[in-house]
Amino acid sequence: MNEKLKVILIEDEELARDLLKSYIKDHPKIELIAECENGFEGVQKINELNPDLVFLDIQMPKITGFEMLELLDHKPEIIFTTAYDQFALKAFDYSAVDYLLKPFSKDRLMVAIDRVIDRIGNNEGLAEKFEKVSDFRVEENLERVVVKDRNKINIIPVEKIRYIESLDDYVLIYTNEARYMKQKTMKFFEANLNQKNFIRIHRSYIVQVDNIAEIQQYEKESYIVILKDGTKLKVSKSGYKKLKEVLHF
Amino acid sequence: MLRHPFINNRMLILYYGLFWLTLAASNSLIQIFWYDEELEKAIFTSLVVFIIYPVIGASIWYIVKFEGAKETDWMWTMLYHVVGATILNAIWLYIGYIVVKIFDESFLHNLNETLPTRILFGYILYTVYVVFFYAVNYYQTLKEKIKKEAELKSLIREAELSALKSQINPHFLFNSLNSISSLTVSNPSKAQEMVINLSTFMRYSLQHGQEDMVSLNQELDNIKLYLGIEKIRFGKKLNPIFEIEETCENAQIPNMILQPLYENAIKYGVYEATGEVSIVTRCQTGSKHVLITIENGYEPDSIKNRGEGIGLRNIRQRLDLIYGNPDLIRIIDKKTSFKVELIIPQNKQA
Repeated sequence: MNEKLKVILIEDEELARDLLKSYIKDHPKIELIAECENGFEGVQKINELNPDLVFLDIQMPKITGFEMLELLDHKPEIIFTTAYDQFALKAFDYSAVDYLLKPFSKDRLMVAIDRVIDRIGNNEGLAEKFEKVSDFRVEENLERVVVKDRNKINIIPVEKIRYIESLDDYVLIYTNEARYMKQKTMKFFEANLNQKNFIRIHRSYIVQVDNIAEIQQYEKESYIVILKDGTKLKVSKSGYKKLKEVLHF
Repeated sequence: MLRHPFINNRMLILYYGLFWLTLAASNSLIQIFWYDEELEKAIFTSLVVFIIYPVIGASIWYIVKFEGAKETDWMWTMLYHVVGATILNAIWLYIGYIVVKIFDESFLHNLNETLPTRILFGYILYTVYVVFFYAVNYYQTLKEKIKKEAELKSLIREAELSALKSQINPHFLFNSLNSISSLTVSNPSKAQEMVINLSTFMRYSLQHGQEDMVSLNQELDNIKLYLGIEKIRFGKKLNPIFEIEETCENAQIPNMILQPLYENAIKYGVYEATGEVSIVTRCQTGSKHVLITIENGYEPDSIKNRGEGIGLRNIRQRLDLIYGNPDLIRIIDKKTSFKVELIIPQNKQA
C-alpha cells in the first residue's frame, strides 16, 4: 500500500485534538484531511471527503459518536478515543478497529494505526461491517433517535415518537410533525425503547402507549388500535396480550 | 414536638393505669382495715384521689412542654409551675366535689375534713409529675438530637464521597489528565499550572470533609480552581462570571454545598453546547441570610432530562437538616437557562 491514509479527526475538545495531531503529524502513511468539533460536522465531512480512517470521540455535544455512525453513507474504519471504558463493548458492535482510552500514549496510537493498515491491506470487507450493528439491548433505555433527512440531521426525543412502522430493511418513525426513515430493525427498537411506554403491537408496528385513543374489536378474533389523530393500526394476537398487560384491562 | 408520650403507646397507658389502680386499691384497703371505714366510702375517696388526679395529671405534659418551648429564667419557671399546680389542684378538687355531690352528698362532710391533706397531696403529685415529664422530655429531645446528628453526618459523608467521585470520575479526571498530556507537548508551563490546580482542588475537598461550615470566600476559591481546570478543557465554551457583594464574602455556608451545582452546570450546560455558555454566580445579603444564585445557560435542543437529580436532592436534604427548612433551595428552569437559588441563614452571634 503506497498511498497515504486519508484521516478525519472528530473530537470536541481542542487540547485533545492538538495532542492527537501532534502524535500523527510525522507518520508517513497518515494524511489528516479534516478535523471536526462535533458530530454534525463529522457526518458532513465524512460523507463529503470519504476518508479511510476516522478518529472518533464518543461523548460529544448534541449527538454521540455512536449516533453519528448511524448516519453515514460512507463507512470508514473507526478508532474510538474516549475517557470512558464502559462503551468498549458497544464499540465492538460497530466493529471498530480499536478503542483508545484517554489519556493514551503515542505508541498505543501507532499500534492502532498499524492495525488499520493491516486491515485495509488484507482488504477485509468494509461494506458488511456496519450491518453487524447488533439488535440486542444496550445499557439504558433509548432517549432519542438520530436520523438524517437529506442534508439535515434530526434529533427525535423518544417521547415525540407516535409510532414506528417497519418497511423492509428500514423503519418509518412517525412524530406529530413528520415521518422519518432510518436503517434499523424493529427488533432493535422493541428491545431498546422503554417497554412500559412502547409496545410492539404487530410485526409491523410499535406504538407509544400514551398515543392510543381506543382499542377496537375488528373481527371476531382481531383488534385494531386507534391513535389520537385517528390513525388505525392492526394488532396481532400477541400484541393484544402485551397491551392487556401494560394497560391492565 | 408537642406529642404526648401516651399517644400511640398503649403499653405505657396500661402500666400507668395499673399503677394508679393498685395505689387506689391499696388505699381503700388501708382505709377499711386500719381506719375502719365503710367499704363504699373507702372506695369512693380512693377513686376521687387516685383516679381523677391521674387523668388530669396526664395533661401536665403540655404544661411542661409549653414552658420548655421558651427560654426563661429559673424564677419564672418556679412561678409558672406554682400557678400551674394551683389551677390544676383547683380543677381536681372541684371535680372531686362534683362527683361526690352527684353520687352521694353524705360524703361531703368527709370530703371537707380531708381538704388540707388533699391540697398538700395535690401539690406533691404535681411536683412528681413535673419531674417525671421533664425527664421524659429530656430523653426524647436527646434521642431526636442524636438521630438528627447521625443523619447529618451521613449526608456530609455522602457529599464528601460524591465530591471525591466527581474528581475521579471519567468526565473530570481522565479528560483533565488528557488535557495535561496535550499541554506537556504544546505548553509545558501551563501543564504544570494545571497539575498544581488539580492537586490543590483535590486536597481542599479531601481536607474540608470534616468541617461543617466554611466562609463563602473559601468555598468560591475552590470552585474557581475547579472551573479553571474545566476552562482549560472547554476553552471559550465555558465562561464563568462572579458577581459577589462584598458583604457576602465572610458568610458562613455548609462546606461543598455549591460544588454539585457547578458540576451540573458543566454537565448539562457546557458539555452539551456547541457555543459559549456562561455560569453566573451571584450573592446578595439579606437581613438574616445570604442569597446565592447560580445560573447557567443551556441549548434547548440538548434534551437530557434534568429535574431534581440526586445532587439537588442532597442539597435540599442537607439544608433541611442544618437549618430545619426544606425550602431553602429553589430551582427555576427558564428553558434556555437553569437557575438555582440558595438561601443560607446567617446567625450573627456565631
